[in-house]
Amino acid sequence: MDGINVADGGTNRSSIKRWLITIVVLSQTLLAAGLLVTGILYTRRQMLSTLDNHIQAHAMSVAALVRYTEAANGTLYFDGSLVPPSVDPSRPDWYAVWTEQSGLLTRSANWPAGFEIPLNGPDHWSFQRASIGYRGLRLFRVPVLDREEGSAFHPQTLTIVYASPTTRLDQQVQHSGFYIAISSLLLLAVTIPLALWGVRRGLLPLQELAERAALVSTQNWELRLPEDVQHVKELRPLTESMKTMLDRLRHSFDQQREFLGNSAHELKTPVAVLKSTLQSLLQRPRTLEEYRAGIEHSLEDLERLDQLLQWILRLARAEQWARGALRRDLEVIDITATCEDAIERIRPLADGRNTTVQLSKNGPVPFRADPDDLQLIWINLLENAVRYSPPGGSVEVAVSWGNTGGAQIIFEDHGAGIDPAHLPHIFERFYRGDPSRNRATGGFGLGLAIVKALVEAYGGMITADSTPGRGTRMTVVLPASR
Amino acid sequence: MRVLVIEDEPRLAENVARSLRESAGYAVDVAHDGQEGLFMAESNDYDAVLLDLMLPQMGGLQLLRRMRHAGQRAPVLVVTVRDEKESVVALLNAGADDYLTKPFDLGELLARTKALIRRGKGHPSPVLVVGDLELNTVDRSVRRGGRPISLTAMEYRVLEYLAHRPKAVVSKTELLEHLYDYNWEKFSNVIEVYISGLRRKLDDGSTHQLIHTLRGQGYILQD
Repeated sequence: MDGINVADGGTNRSSIKRWLITIVVLSQTLLAAGLLVTGILYTRRQMLSTLDNHIQAHAMSVAALVRYTEAANGTLYFDGSLVPPSVDPSRPDWYAVWTEQSGLLTRSANWPAGFEIPLNGPDHWSFQRASIGYRGLRLFRVPVLDREEGSAFHPQTLTIVYASPTTRLDQQVQHSGFYIAISSLLLLAVTIPLALWGVRRGLLPLQELAERAALVSTQNWELRLPEDVQHVKELRPLTESMKTMLDRLRHSFDQQREFLGNSAHELKTPVAVLKSTLQSLLQRPRTLEEYRAGIEHSLEDLERLDQLLQWILRLARAEQWARGALRRDLEVIDITATCEDAIERIRPLADGRNTTVQLSKNGPVPFRADPDDLQLIWINLLENAVRYSPPGGSVEVAVSWGNTGGAQIIFEDHGAGIDPAHLPHIFERFYRGDPSRNRATGGFGLGLAIVKALVEAYGGMITADSTPGRGTRMTVVLPASR
Repeated sequence: MRVLVIEDEPRLAENVARSLRESAGYAVDVAHDGQEGLFMAESNDYDAVLLDLMLPQMGGLQLLRRMRHAGQRAPVLVVTVRDEKESVVALLNAGADDYLTKPFDLGELLARTKALIRRGKGHPSPVLVVGDLELNTVDRSVRRGGRPISLTAMEYRVLEYLAHRPKAVVSKTELLEHLYDYNWEKFSNVIEVYISGLRRKLDDGSTHQLIHTLRGQGYILQD
């Protein structure tokens, strides 16, 4: 069998095909057996009913042979010369007739000695005698059919018992049982291969699906399904979930690739600087001072490269959390308190720029999180707000309960604002308003990307509103603590 | 030769400029953003421009298009972090002559710059020949009639420029513009000193002189 390799692989693996075939064969065999039993029972019942009718007719014929004598005193006699042939011509029937007044009137010659007639039960009954099956009939109070002529009428009733062997009936039932069995076997011989073919045929789309799925790779994400697979209703949930899974995988893969590309791209410039410094040092013999200056410059550049790498790693971790790759044990902390801590930590920078930072709070706001993550978010947002505020300006932080039952944290500055052209992109990694790597602001363009990834890792969202010349407002909304 | 380096990363610009000055003997100007770069490229006659693509104020690609649109013919070597086919094609189509991806090798940058300058002036070979004078731009050696001639750095730069434009009249101003960075006016009197030094070394033991003076017009290098 060129079955499905996926399922046929090992002996102890379960095989859908084997299972289906077992079910089909078993149910067909059961069907055939049921048909045989029902057929036999039904035939027997029908034939027994026919036999009963025959026996009844014969018993009535026997009754018709009971006549009144000429004596007109109600005496009866049995006209034995006209007894009808037995139901089964090759096996004699028994009969006996009793009259009301004088008891036994007649009985057939083969009436067995000591045969007890059951007094209760149905009129027709079956019994065994000398290992031969019989069907009997008891008729009570049968009126005498012959009319007595005369002045004094003494009507009498009869009791008639008639029995006939069922040997022929049993043989006929056996025959028909045999025919039913033969035809069932013949049908099985035809239907089982048909069912097997059907099972194999029905499972073919599954095999085709497996083959198509094997063609999917990181170069080719598309799961191309032939028509016959697409139209299989039972495969629909599987193909649908495969497609969604592939989409998710592809998205995640693209993101990773983009992240890797972006990072490599960002690393090229600092590496170029470092390389050029070292190469130009080697181009000709230098004085000791020149070497020292060159090494110092290289160290500075390496420092910056190192910082960039750390930011990149931080972002990678944050994005991993955002995708739910890592669930950590979190504790319930107070958002207001973490904001106060962050403001304390940003104080030196703010003081240096003569900027005030004000916090408006509304009691503790509990949230389940890692305090370091929240610190990182607040400090990044605060640093931006302070940096882009004019000297002597002010930054406002407000912690409150949002409409959705979660926390809402707003950071607002009154600086130059963000150009509307840049606003939609500020959360993109490595995005800088200025296309150059501007050292003045010291940024790598990763701070807001990390903030966004972390906020999203906690199921929250961040939005930026800005009016050029008026300032910027960053709103973080965190969901109700789970 | 005078080269413009447009690069916003100060240390990289500094390293490239130093290398071009020291190893090729070029005069180098540095611009740190796109606008400054475009202004300098349009107001001076550079022998080559080294252009970074990611620039503040104005992107390198836009700068390149505007430079070419204004009729600037200086060969442009683009320095970029992107090496995807599409962006390279876009660069070349915008008028770039060559490109180099970061992080590059300073030696390669020098060689490509030299080749660009040479080809920009119509010389496929790195060895320039005028009569019996041979000037090798790779190792910066000079021979006349097979005899090696030792020149000072400045003398070599004057001769190299003249050798790139043989049989053409080169004015003193043109020489100054191409041999010094933007401070060239200060040096206006030194050209005669280099020319006479060159004449003395080149013509020593030869029957005819190579550098001719056209009074009031400039100098000509020819057999």
